Amino acid sequence: MNPIELPDASEAPARRGLKLWLSRLEGPQTMGRGPAFWAVVVLAVLAALSYPAFANDYVVGNAAYFFVWTFMAMGLGVVWGYCGALSFGQTAFFGLAGYAYGVITINIGSAFGATWLALLLAVALGGVFALLIGYFMFYGRIKGVFVGIVTLSVTLVLETFMAQTAGPQWRIGDARLNGFNGMSGMPPLTVPWPGGDIMLYSGTALYYVLLGMVVLCYLGLRMLLNAPFGNVLVAIRENPERAEMLGYDIRLYQMLAFGLGGALAGLSGALYTAWGQYITPSSMGLTAAALPIVWVAVGGRRDITATLLGCLLVIAGFQSLTIYGSQYALVVMGALLVFTVLVTPDGLVFTAINRMGRLFKRVRR
Amino acid sequence: MEFFPASFSIFYQFGNAFAFLVISCAGLAVIFGMMGIINLAHGEFIMCGAYVTASTARAGLPLPLAIACGALTAALVGMVLERTVIRHLYHRPLDSIIATWGISLIATQAVLILLGPSMSGTGTPLGSTLVGERSYSIYRLVLFASAVGLLGGLYLLFYRTRFGVIARATIQRPEMARALGVDTRRVYGLTFGLGAGLAGLAGGLYAPTMTMVPTMGATFIVESFVTVVVGGADIFLGAAPAAAILAVIKAALTAWYGQLFGQIGLLVAVIVVIRVMPGGLSAFIKRWQR
Amino acid sequence: MKKNPNRHLMAAMLAGTCIAGLPAMAQDGPIKIGVLEDQSGDFAAATNVKVHAIELATKEINDAGGIDGRPIELVIYDTQSDNRRYQEFMRRVLQQDQVDVVFAGFSSASREAYRPIVNQFDGLAFYNNQYEGGVCDANMIVTGAVPEQQFSTLIPWMMEEYGPNVYTLAADYNFGQISAEWVRQIVDEQGGTMVGEEFIPLGVSQFSQTIQNIQESDADFVVTLLVGAAQASYYEQANASNVDLPMASSVNVGQGYEHKRFTPPSLSQMHVTTNYIEEIDTPASNDFVERFRAMFPDEPYINQEAANSYIGINLYKQMVERAGSTDHDEIRAVLGEGDVCFDGPSGNVCLDPQSQHMSHTIYLAKVEEDHSISFPEVWENIEPYWLGDAGCDLTQNDPSAQYTPSNPPPAQ
Repeated sequence: MNPIELPDASEAPARRGLKLWLSRLEGPQTMGRGPAFWAVVVLAVLAALSYPAFANDYVVGNAAYFFVWTFMAMGLGVVWGYCGALSFGQTAFFGLAGYAYGVITINIGSAFGATWLALLLAVALGGVFALLIGYFMFYGRIKGVFVGIVTLSVTLVLETFMAQTAGPQWRIGDARLNGFNGMSGMPPLTVPWPGGDIMLYSGTALYYVLLGMVVLCYLGLRMLLNAPFGNVLVAIRENPERAEMLGYDIRLYQMLAFGLGGALAGLSGALYTAWGQYITPSSMGLTAAALPIVWVAVGGRRDITATLLGCLLVIAGFQSLTIYGSQYALVVMGALLVFTVLVTPDGLVFTAINRMGRLFKRVRR
Repeated sequence: MEFFPASFSIFYQFGNAFAFLVISCAGLAVIFGMMGIINLAHGEFIMCGAYVTASTARAGLPLPLAIACGALTAALVGMVLERTVIRHLYHRPLDSIIATWGISLIATQAVLILLGPSMSGTGTPLGSTLVGERSYSIYRLVLFASAVGLLGGLYLLFYRTRFGVIARATIQRPEMARALGVDTRRVYGLTFGLGAGLAGLAGGLYAPTMTMVPTMGATFIVESFVTVVVGGADIFLGAAPAAAILAVIKAALTAWYGQLFGQIGLLVAVIVVIRVMPGGLSAFIKRWQR
Repeated sequence: MKKNPNRHLMAAMLAGTCIAGLPAMAQDGPIKIGVLEDQSGDFAAATNVKVHAIELATKEINDAGGIDGRPIELVIYDTQSDNRRYQEFMRRVLQQDQVDVVFAGFSSASREAYRPIVNQFDGLAFYNNQYEGGVCDANMIVTGAVPEQQFSTLIPWMMEEYGPNVYTLAADYNFGQISAEWVRQIVDEQGGTMVGEEFIPLGVSQFSQTIQNIQESDADFVVTLLVGAAQASYYEQANASNVDLPMASSVNVGQGYEHKRFTPPSLSQMHVTTNYIEEIDTPASNDFVERFRAMFPDEPYINQEAANSYIGINLYKQMVERAGSTDHDEIRAVLGEGDVCFDGPSGNVCLDPQSQHMSHTIYLAKVEEDHSISFPEVWENIEPYWLGDAGCDLTQNDPSAQYTPSNPPPAQ
């Protein structure tokens, strides 16, 4: 893809290479720019880095668990928020990558960094499968709610199929798929270290690794979405026919965005499996499929920052509700959804950040 | 005579699958086809109809009356919901998914808290009949007849009554209808109520044959959803033939290979049909008619 | 069920969470028992009563002075019939609340989801549900019934009573498939014939083709291993089509009290082998039911899982008192002595040291036309023999795995 030079708003001289990509951290497709915003981001990262010093191992491990899901939310944010295709089936890639991680690590073990290779392969598998489904859908001119139905069907087929693989004939190498009961026995992410491998069970070490991944992924997505690729995605979301008339092959872009979303969902899946040493077909079921949509909708789908923050907020909030609210937790969750759609259709976090931004502008004047 | 029992059996299986799809998707088809709203709380309207039917039947009402009660209650609840929430979501299909999913969560959990984890059902009426060597439930034949009757009734409603004409006009060209003096908001409300009532009817009709738990809607929702979407926007040109095609596929696969293939086959068929006809069946048929 | 009876225990839970923040573990403080059960979601019908049974046992023990003088404190979480909640809360209850033992799980999937975590923290968990058998894990104590206890009694009796041709209808996942395997094996051993086997995916609720298949076969009775509310619709539909065959199950009636929830006569001629249901008419059982209903008057049904949970708490009390501490190795040493038994609502039950499963009195419950229950047969002291026979010996080693008849422990 030829790097198209975007006219820079401040009319600075054209940049190349790394500078070009760094300049894309800010742009028209993502909220937040300027030193104030980045100061807040740096503060947030520093706070996250020092969090383990103030909290016990369980809370840190729990936070790591929250981080695991953010990739899927960000992936759905790209596919739905930026590209306009509501995918009801991100869990299909989640589950596929999760099982792939399990199968690979059970077969080749965890020595010499094999788990990281397995992670990479699992994510790649998720991405490739998403590209295939994306090709099938977008080159077949499927759009709108039909995308949702097709992706939902895909994830339900996978779930139904995997749920009945309980018998001993269902094995890939040494790994028994084990049907509805789920597959366990895979090792966590393991860092090879002289003197003894470091097993990244849920805890502080895993927290740091995941925090790093989240930050990298977030920054990377910001750069990608402010690049011409992101601009085209938004153009497709706003008016697909116009984008086509301008000469872009929208099917290709949609497929690529869908592949990216699938790879990110796969990353969540593999990390979840590594975190809990367990994966089950119900993570590809109807309820599981609806959850990412809930996170992204409540958080705000039009902006990657809002999606990320919203996902963390909603997951943490739902967990607290379940712990302290017992039976009423689900009622409150439902009410929250209805409230979000009616009052803040762009997402709670998105609207909140917008309002704060406007407040600051007024203050500055 | 070997031929009659065999063909009756095939017809019975097909009729069963067809009736299930048509009855369960009618409400969803009206709401989606007419108003562009994706109602994920559809399963909960079915549950509402089923619960009301079961309670009134156990209280002594004859079953047809109890089913009518169930349908009416669901319709009323639907109209209330339309007034408060759905009104703001017309032609915002993606937002309607989320709002109705939230409503579904509230409804299921509220019923669990208030009425407990299960409700006693009523028995299936009308017993069974012997055809060839096997006995068949007569009520299942009644269900098939109801499905056909439902389609016929809806056709009459939408194509032969004044309300139907106004409703179709409002849905196709709301501004024009308003210009001609139609109170579009009332029409939308009534149409949503009709969709909810049809869902309640589905619940009521199937209540005697199923276990009643707050989450019972979930067993209907996927299949009714895919039928509606495969059918496209028009219930008669779309949902009905879609139900027929999917019923054939499901019944055949279940008969030859078992329930697992029936389930998976249905979902795969949906994927293929949408791929081949991206606007759904009704778009395809309309294009073919020209 | 109207008010949430957990409210007073929620306060205890919050207090427990605060106490858990203290750096040192007070050895003489209360004994904390974590409870992870599905109080909402798909499984709520059969699991709320388990929490109540645990609360009843706790109250009785605390009223009598506690365990070795230390009161029991319950830390209860609602896992919403969601495997991920099991993972989240098992971690929480072991790491943050630092309980001494956990009573957790309904579905086998939830157990397999939390078992790696229990192993990671070397915790102790009681699984109080019937299941497909085969868990050989030193960190688990299983009070639920297993297939060899339920089928080796049920199938020969049914074959003798009704005939040798058997049709199996099973849920299409681990529990259903493994149970079906057991049925196949026993039918074979007894010289019978499997005339049909059908596996139904979870969530399917329409059975007309299946009913037709059953009618076409020569079955003398149908073994139904159906799980979940949707699949349970089979009974109503079979009744409406007048299938009129005796049925045998290990999983209905005893767990989900279908005979109370479905209209007669849809469940008539159903035979279930269960280790406890509230209709059992022995002094111990009637006394238990009376005490239960005194504390929870609105309880819809007291099922086998409730009895298992109640027995589990009492067994734990016995082991802690005999060991003199809550340390897991010492408790398991007591278990290894082989005579940890309890005289409870279902009679005398003992823990088997090799597999850490429980022996059971198995009652054959027959559902009549009007859905009342009769007990044609009772088998005393049926051991969970399969795991020990197959090579699992937790007194020697800890494989922390689940085995099945087609995937037995590796030869030592």
